[in-house]
Amino acid sequence: MKKLVLLAMMCVLLVGVGAFAQDAEPTFTPEQIEASPYLQSVLARQGEMYDTTEYAKEGPYRIALAAQGTSNSWSALFDEHARWYAEELGPDVIGELLYADAQASADIQVPQVEDLLAQEPDALILVPMGAAALAAPVERAMAQGVPVILCASSVDTDNFVTEVGTNLYASGSYLAQYLVDQLGGEGNVIVMAGIPGASTSDVMQAGAEAVFAANPGITVLDIQPGNWSTAEAKSIMETWLAQYGDEIDGVWSGGAQMSQGIVSAYLDAGQAIPPIGGGEFGNGFLRLAIENEISYAAWQYPNAMVTLCMDTALAILRGEPVPRFIDFQDSIPNTQNFTDAEGETYYNAEWSDDVFGPILFPEARLEALGFVVQGS
Amino acid sequence: MILSSTSGTTFNLRRFIVRYGVYISLGVLLCVAVLITPNLYSSQTLTVLLKQSAQLGLIAIGQTLVLLVAGLDLSVGSVIFLTSVVIARVSNGDDALLPLSIGLSFVLSVVIGLANGLLITKRKIPPFVATLAIFILVQGAVQAYTRGVPGGFVPDGLSIVNQSVGFISIPVVLWLGLTAIFAFVLRNTAYGRRLYAVGSNPVTARLSGLNVDGFKLSAYVLCSSMACVAGVVLTGYVGYVDRFIASGLDLDAIAAAVVGGTLFTGGRGSVLGTFAGVLLIQVLSTMALLLGLSIQTQFIIKGVVILAAVALYSLARAD
Repeated sequence: MKKLVLLAMMCVLLVGVGAFAQDAEPTFTPEQIEASPYLQSVLARQGEMYDTTEYAKEGPYRIALAAQGTSNSWSALFDEHARWYAEELGPDVIGELLYADAQASADIQVPQVEDLLAQEPDALILVPMGAAALAAPVERAMAQGVPVILCASSVDTDNFVTEVGTNLYASGSYLAQYLVDQLGGEGNVIVMAGIPGASTSDVMQAGAEAVFAANPGITVLDIQPGNWSTAEAKSIMETWLAQYGDEIDGVWSGGAQMSQGIVSAYLDAGQAIPPIGGGEFGNGFLRLAIENEISYAAWQYPNAMVTLCMDTALAILRGEPVPRFIDFQDSIPNTQNFTDAEGETYYNAEWSDDVFGPILFPEARLEALGFVVQGS
Repeated sequence: MILSSTSGTTFNLRRFIVRYGVYISLGVLLCVAVLITPNLYSSQTLTVLLKQSAQLGLIAIGQTLVLLVAGLDLSVGSVIFLTSVVIARVSNGDDALLPLSIGLSFVLSVVIGLANGLLITKRKIPPFVATLAIFILVQGAVQAYTRGVPGGFVPDGLSIVNQSVGFISIPVVLWLGLTAIFAFVLRNTAYGRRLYAVGSNPVTARLSGLNVDGFKLSAYVLCSSMACVAGVVLTGYVGYVDRFIASGLDLDAIAAAVVGGTLFTGGRGSVLGTFAGVLLIQVLSTMALLLGLSIQTQFIIKGVVILAAVALYSLARAD
């Protein structure tokens, strides 16, 4: 019986994959889908719509935003996008934007969500800091009648209205496939993962490993976590360079900050930099890549996606049906994957290294935040 | 345990373990490395190993000083991050402003060290609580100053810390030099001997006329200053303001001092022992990486080594 259920599930998912493939998106093998609960969830939700008539009400709306908060430039720009977009929409649309700063901690975020819910918002936009920790607060919000929009990450429950993000498994696969293509299917690669246990990191890594496993000519020399830190990634890369030297034909990296550390280690060692599957629309990485003529593939995780999360919240409150998975690549310009061939079109010499684009708000706001190079 | 020899001299095994355990362990580990990770001895690996040891070693010297006065400093990570932010923000990539930004970082680190020391000596707040509170306060102040955006540019001139001649780079010279200086000071000067006395028995030290609070205060200021030096080195190493710049190093520094024989209860230990402890931890980490061990296994090995060292010292000193 279990096998029949599994078979039926696989059929449904494969139909989803077929629909997915029509949009020239990557396809996944049944084995990959079976091995990844994340992929199963995303693919299942991709073709699904959520009836939101029960949440329909008149504006202006009170929207709660439980954000990652003060932790890095990505989240600072995320918050600025939220503030700017609320102003753009005007007080007749968003009467109040309730905000909570989780300081990138699930422990801090859980009670904050409870506090936000106590203020009875019309909708909750949540950037989950932990898939497991935030599952129960999300379920409580839904039970309270507050529609939940997950923004940039998911939680360990299906009881929410929708998720805005991208297929992280596909992003990891894309970066790995780039390396495979660059190496003609044969060569040695090393994998610099993010933070072990963080779902974003684990899912991307799983996507990459599936691609490498499917290409027997590719040897993964080592996998280590760089913890999304430039310093730690550089330290590990230095040891790898000492150990493997020019045996490394390609580097997979789960984040641009780590890629900066990787490039820095190569530059210090005076060795030629191999292709990197792990760029982002991060100005610092792009600068280094252009200056050193690095071949790379980049994925994107734009902080501007909060505007799409806010639009989705408004659609829900207007009672419009919404997809259960919304890929920002379909809605926000310049958020698609790219390679070094397009790198210069994304790089902005007037921005500091910390800027993660694209930026939708006016340059003056960026300057006020200290992200514009002085004297530029 | 005391073993008598025919010549009449006695050999105290426990004292031997306490005094030389870390050096013997390091020697054994280096011998094992010959067999299982021979590429540890390649010139490139040794250069990297020494450079990374220096980053940890600079912090560990300061941590040893506060441990000697029965203290602990959990705020070093925030000092390192603060140093990185100040250098990037004040200089904004201009080499000419590098001395000013480093000077300002140093002044701030001294202020933080003084705050730690005064909270502990004058307000009698336990070192764990006081330095943790200062850590949080400094992190909060940095967040307020940067509004969560630790941006700015690290001057190119600071990348000099990445250049090396053979195995020798500026961080390694700093580490060796400061270890030698503090080893000399602790062993051969009145200040050093009194620091041990204060940590060993503060009541007796006070009755002997020593300014116990002053010595403790000096240890915290020195520890914070060493964190600033490490912060300058790490900022040049990374070339970027990384929020996680001191991640793991702060606690590893305490571990290195403890593995090197410095007691949490104060009054015992040495910067030479810490030097060996730093090398032991760094050699272990590098070997684990060379063997391709998972990060989980690396943590387990590190934890076991620290536990083994503490257990060994406890047993040896129980006599």
